[in-house]
Amino acid sequence: MPPGRRQRLPALGGILQAWPWVLLLLALLAVRLSKGAGFADAYALLSRPFWPGSAQGEWLRSAEILNSQTRLSQLEVDNRRLRSLLQLQTGGKGMVSAPVISRQPGGWWQQLVIGSGALQGVRPGMSVTAPGGLIGRVASVTPSTATVALLTDPGSRVGVWVGRIQRHGLLTGIGTSRPLLRFLEKDPGVRPGDVVVTSPASTLVPPNLTVGVIQSVDERAVPATDAVVQLSAPLDAVDWVQVLVP
Amino acid sequence: MSQLTRHRWCLATALLVPWLVLASPGPLKLAGVAPAWAVLWLLPWALVDGPLSGALAGLGLGLVLDGLHLGPISEIPALALLGWWWGRMGRLGPPIERSFSLGLLALIGAALLGGSLLLQSLLAGGWPLLPALHTWLAQTLLTALLAPPLCSLQLLLWRRQTLGGRS
Repeated sequence: MPPGRRQRLPALGGILQAWPWVLLLLALLAVRLSKGAGFADAYALLSRPFWPGSAQGEWLRSAEILNSQTRLSQLEVDNRRLRSLLQLQTGGKGMVSAPVISRQPGGWWQQLVIGSGALQGVRPGMSVTAPGGLIGRVASVTPSTATVALLTDPGSRVGVWVGRIQRHGLLTGIGTSRPLLRFLEKDPGVRPGDVVVTSPASTLVPPNLTVGVIQSVDERAVPATDAVVQLSAPLDAVDWVQVLVP
Repeated sequence: MSQLTRHRWCLATALLVPWLVLASPGPLKLAGVAPAWAVLWLLPWALVDGPLSGALAGLGLGLVLDGLHLGPISEIPALALLGWWWGRMGRLGPPIERSFSLGLLALIGAALLGGSLLLQSLLAGGWPLLPALHTWLAQTLLTALLAPPLCSLQLLLWRRQTLGGRS
């Protein structure tokens, strides 16, 4: 056997003995390049039984809700103070809860009859909200009931505000379940999905109450753009409402 | 004039009309529109009790229903006219008791009532035409469909009362 070949055999053997270490080195390099892939996943798999349970998640969520409510009430106080400084209409003193005792959201008259009236402090013209937002205004009262003209009623006209485009409009009932929003100018840039709230400058209804969402836009309408609004409060399923006392 | 009004409970059944209007039962609606309950009560009443009683009943019902509803449009003219017309039919012609005839009369009555409301609302400028037509058609059809069972029953009950009163 030639002497050179004898010398190469041990080197090959050394490499063969070291191949697991090479593989390990390559694996560690892969871990490094992949920012810990494998290790983090393995850790997640092994530590899953000790992860925070649903209780901790609930605590965090309730803490977030509490935080939001606190911030909301502080902002409302600030808003009321600033509006009074600017001599704009404020949000009101309180509200009267009332059950819906008659519901006619379709047909010739679009109205609700609620189980609170003049004796509970309800007066014509007051705004009525339901879970979801504004639904209408009190049109007439008896001692123990009040009739609410819904936003869908053809006689209903309410000034509204589209926050994203910073434009005013007039929400007009047309006798269907979705009222029409008439803008004051052509091509205001409104698009489906925009949220509609009561106008900050309105004298009829409190400002910034949620009304609904733009469903479709008719840009060819004359003289200005029209939009169909899906009300956020479900008129067919409202059982209790709140009358906002100014 | 009225033989039915001697029976107080017959007159008291008129209270069902505003009650049904307010209760507005969901299963008895077509596309969200309730039937013309006033037509369904007034038709047998006028057929049995004559034109004057029918017209007065229509007037009374119209007053009550206008009080329950918002806005300037009124049901009084159509209901009073229908009461008088059906009363004359009941007095002058042969007795009307077939389901088809009752359904047809209710269809015409509901169409006239809806037509008068449609006209008033268009004149008042509140209603766009298409939603108003939808309401008008739905109410007319539903009233005509409900008339045969409901009006037949009322006719039967009230004719028995008037016959009992005569004998």
